[in-house]
Amino acid sequence: MTRFIIQRIIGLVFVMIGVSIITFALSQLVPVDPAAAALGQNAREDQIQAYRHELGLDQPALVQYATYINRLLHGDLGTSIRTRRPVRDDLRDFLPATIELSLAAMIVALIFGIALGIVAAINRNGILDALARGLALVGGSLPIFFLGLLLLAIFYSRLRWLPGPGRLDAVMQPPARVTGMYTIDSLLAGNWATFKNSLWHLILPALTLGYYSTAMILRMTRSSMLEVLHQDYMRTARAKGLTEQVVILRHGLRNAMTPVLTTVGITFGSLLSGAVLTETIFGWPGLGRYATASAVSLDFPAVMGVTLVAAIVYPVANMLVDIGYHFLDPQVRLS
Amino acid sequence: MSGPRSFAQKLLALVLLAVLAGCGSAPATNPASNANSTNANSSNTNTAAESATAAPAEGSGGAATAAPPSGGAAGGDVSPQETLVFAADLSDLISLDPAVAYEFSGIEVVGNIYQPLVTLTPGDKTIKPLLAKSWDIKTTDNGSTITFKLDEKAKFASGAPVTADDVVYSWGRIIDLNKSPAFLFTDVGGLTKDSFKAVDPQTVELTLPKTASPQVFLTVLSNSVAAIVEKKVVEANAGSDFGSTWLNDHSAGSGPYVLSSWERNTQNVLDANPNYWGTAPAMKRVIMRNITEQANLQSAVETGDADIAQDLGREQAQALEGNPDVSLVQANQTQLEYIGMNAKIAPFDKPEAREAIRYAINYDELNTLLAGTGKIVQEIIPDGFLGYTGETPFKQDIAKAKELLAKAGVADGTEIQLTIGAGIATGGLENATLAAKLQSDIEKTGLKVNIQQIQASELLNQYRAQKLQMVMLSWGPDYPDPNTNAQPFTDYNAKSIAWRNNWQNDEIAKIAADAALAPTNDQRAALYKQMTERLFHEGPYAVLYQPVRTYGVRKNVSGFQYDPATTPTIFFWTISKS
Repeated sequence: MTRFIIQRIIGLVFVMIGVSIITFALSQLVPVDPAAAALGQNAREDQIQAYRHELGLDQPALVQYATYINRLLHGDLGTSIRTRRPVRDDLRDFLPATIELSLAAMIVALIFGIALGIVAAINRNGILDALARGLALVGGSLPIFFLGLLLLAIFYSRLRWLPGPGRLDAVMQPPARVTGMYTIDSLLAGNWATFKNSLWHLILPALTLGYYSTAMILRMTRSSMLEVLHQDYMRTARAKGLTEQVVILRHGLRNAMTPVLTTVGITFGSLLSGAVLTETIFGWPGLGRYATASAVSLDFPAVMGVTLVAAIVYPVANMLVDIGYHFLDPQVRLS
Repeated sequence: MSGPRSFAQKLLALVLLAVLAGCGSAPATNPASNANSTNANSSNTNTAAESATAAPAEGSGGAATAAPPSGGAAGGDVSPQETLVFAADLSDLISLDPAVAYEFSGIEVVGNIYQPLVTLTPGDKTIKPLLAKSWDIKTTDNGSTITFKLDEKAKFASGAPVTADDVVYSWGRIIDLNKSPAFLFTDVGGLTKDSFKAVDPQTVELTLPKTASPQVFLTVLSNSVAAIVEKKVVEANAGSDFGSTWLNDHSAGSGPYVLSSWERNTQNVLDANPNYWGTAPAMKRVIMRNITEQANLQSAVETGDADIAQDLGREQAQALEGNPDVSLVQANQTQLEYIGMNAKIAPFDKPEAREAIRYAINYDELNTLLAGTGKIVQEIIPDGFLGYTGETPFKQDIAKAKELLAKAGVADGTEIQLTIGAGIATGGLENATLAAKLQSDIEKTGLKVNIQQIQASELLNQYRAQKLQMVMLSWGPDYPDPNTNAQPFTDYNAKSIAWRNNWQNDEIAKIAADAALAPTNDQRAALYKQMTERLFHEGPYAVLYQPVRTYGVRKNVSGFQYDPATTPTIFFWTISKS
């Protein structure tokens, strides 16, 4: 296992080098001047030149890349052209919001996807199955921006059951920063009211972002359970007199989980791209919105920072899935 | 029922229960009831610590003793009744240093925290005293000198008096930092660091070269860029950038509010300055919330989550019409949406061809399209500024446009390229929608219009390089004086808009320059009228409209005023809630 993880981490380093080269090359190929873009309509030529110099954009491309890598190795991701802050600080501010949202979405997807998948499989061709499959079909085809606005219109504007955009009500102060995730930080601070408020704010965006994954996991759980339900060992388990709960959860679900886990790994990637839209709709100050704003204003250091983070997330998610296989089925060898 | 079925039912019931539990208990935590409870028990240590540095005299606990009835408790607890929530798209915020901030949102925040020497007040075009109680303008052989007497009552949030030394330091920082707004001092004012000095602790002397009009420059000085920071505090936190980074999270001003926190992309919290030397603001805390979606802005003001929502779209405004709790306030802005035609690229090298475009546009239909989000303007000085004439000499006349094109020798079917930026035009209409309207109008004359839509930043690069044949773009004024438009639109040598359109007319540029220097408002207005009337037919522009923004304001809010010429455009300190 340790060897497996080390191998994956070495692989990750190569992925990062590749990603840094590609993003850097792209930033060189785009025929625009980020300095001029950053300074706006009124900047004079000498101000633009001075800013180009300050950003190191007047150096040859190779020198720029070497400087970039050198800084990167020292943990310095450069300074954002747009926000004029170190990209590392920006990422530290915005990443936890996205992680919190993605985790919440994943939890939603796992709970609803697996539970409804099992229900659908057991009720094969029944009404519940039809409902679950309908839900999955809608989830797979409904665009996030539409779903998000719909949920807001219903639960916030109309019914006022749930709060509107943002991570907290405006009049609330965020909890003292530990992880940057408001739900966890407010619990750590023992601030129950803030915890509750941040949790309510999390519900709609998490449902929106998690719906697609819910649909995928639901489908996969259903088909995988259907296969398992008719296996001989299930009949054996029942014949042994085990309760239905034990038969389905321990003997059935565990064996059905392997393909579901694959789906989880795949949809985790979709969460990151979905986060861009979800964050915009829900005023969620996360990485997705930061990435969009950076890209639009040609803020290459920021874009490269975000890309590197994304490049880490995918392989790590895959690695966790691989480790998960091993736990579900010890016959799976990690190598 | 067999076993599996009944298990499935149990599982389903569990899921349903979870859903119901989620929805069912939510009403209990509606924002308002929640706000009270948390505010009472969450005093944020972070905020308190930060504002303690900004205002050393004021710990969150000592508010009551230090500043009697007016005392805002910086960083402490403030009731929702004394809290103003202002919802707007604040995504352009990049700096809260007055010498650096030059974005709409940045100026709004900075303008409520820092004060310049002079100011404009809503609905009035004369400059008024602020930190300076009086000034004296003397014309010399080399230009002019303005001598300011500071108000001895003026003090910073720290309690220290505002001195001439602070003024010289603050203005010097602008030139040293040389960021986006620095051109207001170096170019518009023609200033160097030697141009201003402290004569004594209460007196500042500013020397302007002949090229700069003292009248115009006083309006520049009313901008947030010229606001005064406390030298001692900023120097103590200078770092390597004159304290610019530090000022993003702290404040060192003399205005009605101090900065309590800036959570990037989320909100800015301003608290009443406990040592404010003017009348204490009614709202002890202002939360400026970043909401980017228009539908969400509508919901925020509809539900009362926000007291004021800025820039509602057409649909949102329509939906809020007749709402008993929300009033809609329309406010002219001073940007202009215009078409620029490159006077060195055929067919626009012929003045007749440019005139034909002005006659091709159907302004009435454009007005319908804008549906209240813009006001048709055909001159380069917007409504709200001195010198605005309100004349609209052009209306659609296709026959005349065709005749002009024929006179210019432009063949039927000649292709022209109209370049526009991605996203929205000023006022909120999609650039693409607006351009499509112009395209259909212009094509009625027999010309063929190709629309090229590119990123705004790239458009600017090509525009600066004088490469665009025809462009549709917006322009925003830099300071509340007509010269802010007249110079760039007429002076080829300023390398701004006239230059980008390859258009040079020294006569018109001279009228504009004279208008800036004329001593009285009447004389200035007369010269601007002359400039405007020549520019109508000789210039390379077809001006389209100025935007009108819509605010949703809760009915219990009073004292809300908007003036595009003042800094900030909304004075939070005049607002109260019942």
